[in-house]
Order: sequence, then C-alpha cells, then structure tokens
Amino acid sequence: MTNIQSLIYFLPELILVVFVLVIILVDVFHSGRGRNRCIWLLSLAALIFTGLFLLIQNIPTESIFFGALAVDPYSQFFKWIFLLATAVIYIVSPSSRELEGQPKHEYYLFMLIVVFGMFLMASALDLIIVYLSIEIVSIGSFILAGFLKQDRFSNESSLKYVIYGALSSGVMLYGLSLLFGIAGSTNIFEIQAALANIPARAQVVLLGALLLILTGFGYKITMVPYHFWTPDVYQGAPTTITAYLSVAPKAAGFALALRVLGIVFGVNPDLNLTDWLPIEGLQFGTVMAVFSAATMTVGNVIAVQQSSVKRLLAYSSIAHAGYMLMAVTILNSQAFSAIMFYLAVYLFMNLGAFLVAIYIHNHYGYDEIDDWKGLGFQVPVVSVAMGVFLFGLTGLPPTAGFVGKVYLFSVLIEARQFWWLIILGVLNSVISLYYYMRILKAMFLEGEPTGKTISDHSPLTATILVLVLPVLLFGIYWSPLISFVRSSLEFFTQGFQP
Amino acid sequence: MISDYLAVIFVFILAAGFAGLLLVLTHLVGPRIKDKIKLSPYESGVDPVAPTHTRLNIRYFIVALVFIVFDIEIVFLYPWAVVFRDFIAQSPFILYEMLFFLVVLLFGYVYVWRKGVFEWE
Repeated sequence: MTNIQSLIYFLPELILVVFVLVIILVDVFHSGRGRNRCIWLLSLAALIFTGLFLLIQNIPTESIFFGALAVDPYSQFFKWIFLLATAVIYIVSPSSRELEGQPKHEYYLFMLIVVFGMFLMASALDLIIVYLSIEIVSIGSFILAGFLKQDRFSNESSLKYVIYGALSSGVMLYGLSLLFGIAGSTNIFEIQAALANIPARAQVVLLGALLLILTGFGYKITMVPYHFWTPDVYQGAPTTITAYLSVAPKAAGFALALRVLGIVFGVNPDLNLTDWLPIEGLQFGTVMAVFSAATMTVGNVIAVQQSSVKRLLAYSSIAHAGYMLMAVTILNSQAFSAIMFYLAVYLFMNLGAFLVAIYIHNHYGYDEIDDWKGLGFQVPVVSVAMGVFLFGLTGLPPTAGFVGKVYLFSVLIEARQFWWLIILGVLNSVISLYYYMRILKAMFLEGEPTGKTISDHSPLTATILVLVLPVLLFGIYWSPLISFVRSSLEFFTQGFQP
Repeated sequence: MISDYLAVIFVFILAAGFAGLLLVLTHLVGPRIKDKIKLSPYESGVDPVAPTHTRLNIRYFIVALVFIVFDIEIVFLYPWAVVFRDFIAQSPFILYEMLFFLVVLLFGYVYVWRKGVFEWE
C-alpha cells in the first residue's frame, strides 16, 4: 500500500504522535500549578483516543508503507496489551509516594513515546523498522529507569540499562546486516522467500545471523544470558516503571521476536507454521530449549536467595520469560497462541504483584521481605490480593496462571518433544512456589496482629482489586481469551501484498 | 572456489604494500625534528598525560543533541530537494510530508529553546 493510503491505517500511532507533540507544548508553555495534572489527563486521553481508534479500525490484514508495517489482528492483540499496561501505570502513578514531588510531565511523555515504539514493534515487517522500534522503546525506557534524579540506584539502573542496551542492539544490528546480506532484502517475507534457495555454504552465516539477532530480542525479553541488566534496573527504577518494564516492553519483545523468527526462520507450508527451519542439519528448537531451560533455572534459583521484593520479582520475571520460551522451541501456531495467552494473563498477575509492592512501600516504606511480617493483619484486603497474584505467578489453580502454564506445557507435550524440558519446567515451578510462598508466609504466618488496620480509597487500591478479577476469572472461564488469541493469529503467516 | 577470492587477496596485498611503502618513504625522505611536542602521542591536540577524572561540561552533550535536530533536518532535506521537482508534478503530498517532518522538528526546537538550552550564562 502506498504512503498516502497507509495513513488511515496508521491513525492510532499518529494520534499518539500528535498527543506527544501537544504535551511537549503544554510542558514548556504551561508553568502554572496544575501542570502535572493537565499532562496526566492529556496522556490518559491519548491512550483512550488510541484505544477508540483501535476499536473502530477495521482490521484489514495488510501491510502499509510499502510493506514496512503490518496492520493485522496479531499486532492489534499486542496493542491492547500495551494500552492496558500503560493505562494501569498512568492510573496508579499519581498515588505513588516514590514519585511524589517529582515533576512528572516528562514521565508521562516518555511513556507515551514508549507506547508508540511498542506499537511499531508489534507490527514491524521490515528489518529497519525492527531496529528503529526497539531503539524507540529502549531510549524511552532508559530515561524512565533513571527518572529519580536524586536517587543513586535509579541513576545506576539507567546507566546499566544504556550500556547493555547499546551493546545488544549493536550486536543485533550486525545480525540483521548479515541477514540482509544473505537475502538481499529487508522485508521479512522477501527474506523468507530468498532463504528457500540460498547456497549451502551460506547456511553457517544464517546460523550466525540468527544467534546475533537473538541477542537483541533476548535482551528485550530478558532471556539468559542477556538478562544481567534486569535485576539492577528493576531494583533501581521507580517501582511503577519496574512494573511497566516487566510487562509491556517484554510483551513487545515477544511480539517482535515471534513474528520475525516465525516468518523468517519458520517452516510454514500452507500458511501454517509448523517448526523451525533446519539450518545445517541443526534443529534450532534444541538451541531454544537450552536457552529456555537456562532462563527459567537461573531466574528461579537466584530468586530464592533474594531479600528485596523488587529484586525477587525481577528474577521471577526472568523465570517467566523462560516458561514462555519453552513454547518457542516448537514454533507452531499453537505455541504462538500459548505465549500470547500467557502474556495476557501475566500482564494482570505481574502488574498486580508490583502494585501491591508499591502499596506497601507507600504506607510503610518497606522493600525487604522480612519487613513484610504481619502485613496480612494490617492490610488484609491487599494482602489477600497479593496472595491471588502470587498463586497466579506460581501457576496454581484456580488462577489464570495455571491455565496459561497448562497451555505452555501442552505445546511441548502435543509435539512429543523435549521431555526433559517439560520436567525441568515443572521442577522450576516447584522452586518458584518456595519463594513466592516465602512472601505470603511473612505476610500471614509471621509477625503479630497489631489490631491496627489500614484502609484507603486511593486509585491504587482500586486498581489492585480490579486486577484480581481477571486473574481469577480467566482461571475459571478462559475460553473468551483463548478464542480471542486464536482469532488474532488467523492470518499471521499469510504473505502481505507489498 | 578459492579463485573467486583472488581479487580480495590482491586488494589486501595492494593496501598493505601501499601503506608499507609510505611508511618506508617517510622514514627515508622525511625531515626529523625531535622535540617534546613532536614526540608525544597525538591526541587531537589534547595533553595525552592528564588526570582522567575530569568533569566535562554538560553543555557539550546538549550542544551535540541540539546539533542533531538541525543535522538530521539537512540530511533529510537534501535528497528531498533533489527529487522534489519530479514528484510535485504528480501530487503535492511530498510537500506536506516534509512540512510534517519540519513541524515535528520545530516542536523539538521550541522545547529546547523554552528549556533554556540557548542561554549560555
């Protein structure tokens, strides 16, 4: 589709851009007292308008801007995830004590820019857009992670994030250039067509390109061994931003990785993904199985030793990336739907757990698990909500986390491959049970009931309670969500007309 | 198959030979003045031996960032101007496209201006 025709399909992104520009103007010309509030409202309005346009937009499954971006149900699914996660963070940010007294206009502004970048990530069909979108998201996240200027940990997290980000995107760029060198095109469908008849001696280069590209993707989805930035960044960043980074850019990373890997390196006869392309006789699924096993084991084993709640949740988010990578070993459409389903429920569980951490920090200033003793008696409702989120993250019924994990495991079981990975996955879930329950043990079984309970009616409490609903609901009645996921995948492998 | 790469090897030899030749020539023909400055390693005119824990003024970075605003503008405007005449005949879209781009950059300009980046003292 040509550029002019494409614009109408690009409206949600354009709305984001226009709002970003307006917010910049408001930021520099409005010096009165209500500036934070005004910008907060504008940013929320940007999300709502974008959501409205996503709703009324008919989804044509077409590529726009001469094959650079896709407009399809797949990208639409992820755009909803991004909007939802961002909206939750917007709603709770004014009640975060950590951010109190900080000028928050740039905070909201950069989150909008990150949303724009993630929209591009979910719909990228061209290697250049792949790189650009990752950079838009990363640069926004660097600034957000270092948002607490006076806090040394926040500065440290931002700097570490920048260095790791620059290195991994450099390595990825090298991989992309190799891929372009082999295939002679930057469009992923054209690359896929070109890869069908490359000479045998180029296979090694292809393998190298794939491994290099995985560095960039692995960095975004916190895959071991590209995870080293995660704990420090998650600990140092403001908790609202940590919650955001652990959900939205990770989902965007998966959206991008699944699309690029699935189309370029997947076998899809009859427009139906089946497995990885064999390269030099190597089934790449085995390599991914090793990555997945390493990711979940490292995440879980190190999480056991953590004393800070934020660091624990950081390692647990690495472990969850490992569970999701388990399905990538097969790379068929069932695996895709399992990952998308898991990302959707992970959004609610993980955001919820982080919001409870923000809540406790607001009222008590605690970050260590040992300080959380007896909180179950003081803030009963929020503590029970935390219980639901942690049960969900462990994958216990009747929460949505259980259903999500069943789908992930069933991908491997139905493919009758990688039995060792299934066993390892189950063992890892048991390990995760230990450290999640350690938090709950501190909250409910240790400490004394003081008789003093806290209750407030801030938007934060309301959001925590609202997030409990989907975790429980999708644990009992998940068919609407899984059918939404499956319908989002319908036209996934269909070649787009450039 | 190896013959495919003969040309590459030839270029390597040529490059190494040319560089080597220049080194030898300067060594043989060039004048030799040995003073302190001449013998010190070249580091863009900066004293090579100095404390490394110095602070750089933040303005260096700000100037670099503001420079990008104008630099990108020129980089993008130049090829646009080259093809402008051919495209404007078909539709005025090329004009609006560039106007949009310039307006977006203008927002960046207004932002740095209002934030006081151009006030030096």
